[in-house]
Amino acid sequence: MRRFAVAVIAAAAAIVLLAFSGALFGHSPWSLLSIVASGSVGSRFALASTLLKSVPLLLTGLSVAIAFRAGVWNIGGEGQFIVGGLAALVASRFGIVASLAAAMLAGAAWASIASAMRLWRNAPEVLTTILLNFTAIHLLGWSVNGPLREHAGQYPQTDLAHVALPEIGGVHFGIVIALAASVFAWWLLYRTAAGLRLRATGLNPNAARWAGIRVGAQLARAMAISGAAAGLAGGIELLGVTHRLFERFAAGYGYSGIAVALLAQLHPLATIASSLFFGALVTGAGELQRAAGISAGVATFGQAVVILTLIVFEHVRADR
Amino acid sequence: MKRTLLVCVLFAVFSCQQRETAAPSAAAPAPAAKPFKAGLLTPGSINDGGWNAIAYEGLQRIKNELGAEVSNQETKTPPEMLDGFRSYGAKGFDIAFGHGFEYQEPAKQAAAEYPNTIFITSSGNTVTNNVSPMRFQIEESTYLLGVIAARESKTGKAGLVGGINLPSIDSSFVAFKAGAQSVNPKFEVKTIYTGNFDDVGAAKVATLSLINAGCDFIFHQANEAGRGVFQACTERKVRCFGSNKNQTDMAPDYVVASAVVDVPAAFVEMAKIVKEKRFKPGEQHFGFNNNIVRLEWNDKLKASISPQTIAEVDRLTNEIKAGTLKPPAGF
Repeated sequence: MRRFAVAVIAAAAAIVLLAFSGALFGHSPWSLLSIVASGSVGSRFALASTLLKSVPLLLTGLSVAIAFRAGVWNIGGEGQFIVGGLAALVASRFGIVASLAAAMLAGAAWASIASAMRLWRNAPEVLTTILLNFTAIHLLGWSVNGPLREHAGQYPQTDLAHVALPEIGGVHFGIVIALAASVFAWWLLYRTAAGLRLRATGLNPNAARWAGIRVGAQLARAMAISGAAAGLAGGIELLGVTHRLFERFAAGYGYSGIAVALLAQLHPLATIASSLFFGALVTGAGELQRAAGISAGVATFGQAVVILTLIVFEHVRADR
Repeated sequence: MKRTLLVCVLFAVFSCQQRETAAPSAAAPAPAAKPFKAGLLTPGSINDGGWNAIAYEGLQRIKNELGAEVSNQETKTPPEMLDGFRSYGAKGFDIAFGHGFEYQEPAKQAAAEYPNTIFITSSGNTVTNNVSPMRFQIEESTYLLGVIAARESKTGKAGLVGGINLPSIDSSFVAFKAGAQSVNPKFEVKTIYTGNFDDVGAAKVATLSLINAGCDFIFHQANEAGRGVFQACTERKVRCFGSNKNQTDMAPDYVVASAVVDVPAAFVEMAKIVKEKRFKPGEQHFGFNNNIVRLEWNDKLKASISPQTIAEVDRLTNEIKAGTLKPPAGF
């Protein structure tokens, strides 16, 4: 109950601070809030747009939640998202299922590079996953300028993927996959023995080891599942939204996943609400810039406020 | 239990906001005369001092010179671009600019839904009834730079430094080469792409290697990284050209001339065309003819250029304006 109250306070703090930041530009807080609301849920397009943005956030949020639950600091969602998109594009000629499977495999493989380095050379995954993000960004840049460049050869982007996810009312089918994934993640973490081992490892690796759990294997498994979720996010984004790759393909979804997961207190089902909140925030911020001339960067500001508020509460609790 | 409550409250927060919205938007009175409205979507921050800043300057001039109502948004992903365009369409904007080739697909999609708004992309090749790209014919100017280089070079070689190999950049280089070889078919033009637009060091190293290879004129298309080109030219006392804006102040003793593209003026011109209902779908050309692309000399160095070369450039300028000379383009 307490954790839930903390999450609500964090979200509310973001909204309140956003509203009052507008006062600096001479806008009343109410008018700003109404702009954000109408821009995120006020029309059919706005709502569809919020949902479209929530889908990758939900999956990258799950990716982070699963890893953090197991005590693995996977900050590499951005890179895993990108390789997921790359694999999905290459495999798209074999159909949607193959394409998304390839995305998950690629994300898992990319994340596993970090767990391999952790297990064999004890390299901290916080560093290796971040560095692998940059590697993936450059891999994508090279791909769209080189081997995967569109056949017309005009712009640094790929050709369209061979398949696309079906759409229902402006929202692609990926939303169903993402919701199913969060239920699956919940079931895995809280209803299976494997999930118990993952969580036990996260809570206290030493105790887990004494209980006979192979901690290294848990770490590798959590990282692979986490990478698969981020890779799937990239694959769905490609087949459902962008349909082709270009250099700015990931657009920060991997990093935003961290905020989504933290707000959800690392719970797979709460991640659904959390991703909707951030999806609405980003979409509403766009309208804020169009209508009130306030930089869309305020959405990032909102994310920061949420994370900071959560950290403050964590510390207050730890001090007691 | 906790989870369900969290979901409920988050939704409650949003639905409250939504109710607050309904009142003011419904109460908004219909304006007497419909003002001209222009929107701009940029792929990056309008404070970048370059590509995006220049578009924003154009938008501000549309506001001041045409008395338009303006709006802008920074959009990084295709869904954001589509949101932006749709929002402008829904609000009855007359013109919506997307500042880059990456806006073509979202423009096409939004344009089908909002036929009364005209969607303009900065470069690109997508044309529908209400979607068209702006095409800046910088080739007209770089062709002349090639002529100057070939006439004034002592080594018979010039070097080109590019950022990323994009069609618009390659095209300006093609024209430079054609200009130089129209004077001297054996004139050698060497090109290096550094692969990005912000690595000043890489641009400097590329320039030095071109100078070492004997080039005594350097032209760049590396945007912000162009600074490195001017540093190298100043160090090695080699003459060079500015691109996109008058860059004489980057190296006052070595920049002979600049190929200037007055992008803000093009934005105003484009908005004017739409406002006066003169818009016709198709590539919107901006070049020497409407004075948006220009060749600007560095007055301080102009005296060091032979009068014959200057006369030849003036003559070719008039031919290009008259349409009798068409510099080749790469696409």
